Amino acid sequence: MHEYSLACEIFETVIAIADQNKASAVNSITLEIGRLTHVNPDQLLFCLDVLSGDSIAEGAKVNVNFVSPYGECECGYREDTGVPDNACCDDQQSLYEYALMTCPVCGKLLQLVGGNELIIQTIDIDI
Amino acid sequence: MLMHVVNVNKDVMKANNELAHSNKKLLIKNRVFAMNIMGAIGSGKTTLIEEAINALKDRYRIAVIAGDVVAEMDASRFEKLGVRTVAANTGRECHLDAKLVERSMENIDLEDTDILFIENVGNLICPVDYKLGENVRVVVVSVSEGDDTVLKHPMIFRTSDLAIVNKVDISEAVSADPSKMKADIEKLNPSIPVLLTSRNDRISIDRWIEYIESYLE
Ligand SMILES: [Zn+2]
Repeated sequence: MHEYSLACEIFETVIAIADQNKASAVNSITLEIGRLTHVNPDQLLFCLDVLSGDSIAEGAKVNVNFVSPYGECECGYREDTGVPDNACCDDQQSLYEYALMTCPVCGKLLQLVGGNELIIQTIDIDI
Repeated sequence: MLMHVVNVNKDVMKANNELAHSNKKLLIKNRVFAMNIMGAIGSGKTTLIEEAINALKDRYRIAVIAGDVVAEMDASRFEKLGVRTVAANTGRECHLDAKLVERSMENIDLEDTDILFIENVGNLICPVDYKLGENVRVVVVSVSEGDDTVLKHPMIFRTSDLAIVNKVDISEAVSADPSKMKADIEKLNPSIPVLLTSRNDRISIDRWIEYIESYLE
């Protein structure tokens, strides 16, 4: 639901950095999205596409890497929650699964650490 | 023409978190206890805040930030109770963010405030990602939203400090089971206190007020 404002922030950052580097075009943008962030990637990409029309980032490819949270438990267990990288959609169902993950050692509900990020990693530009 | 990869490494969410942190420092410095009240439109956030104001305003100095998409209706309800109220209109946004709260706090004399209620914009998804600098996060869910609402929005219950299941007096009429909702909340967050409330049940409202008082001297 807040994809549009996030897309605006990403777009402004990308254009600012492209300008700093005197770029003539932005070819691609690589994002990292935490799996617990309430962001729908499809909506985000759509907003970015709309925003970048008529700019040097028009038509830029957007690559998305997903970041899983860590699961931490009072018993000392700490592990990446390890969802395979090809599982890409952060829908409500997967949030629900995360929310109910338990510690494989002692069975307590896992505390989730991280997975709340939305990082602009790199941009690929023409100079 | 030269292809060139630029390392940006900027976390868009982090900017809000940093601002939330500075809001929190400002609140602590001024000894203000701030509550972020989250929940759907119609869950009863405004009524719960009004009840708390009525019960506490003689003993504590209270201010409210009323978040809303455009209207100022909720804000005027608080103003009528004689407390400092700032309407934080988000325009098109679905949640309050730390920047809006920072700006709203500029219109509040924090030195002259003990309790700050922040009524968030009505939904159970977006406010999860945005810390405001509050001391306590409260999620309000009414039985009329359906008793499967809790499991549909797990993260807000994982990240809140208090959960309120509201309007329990109409449970039967809307075929919802408040005890299922309470059990679902406890399944998602075993350490969270859960209050079952109804504006028609004075005892339940008193428990809500006692909860707030438990943080105050
Ligand atoms: Zn464990």
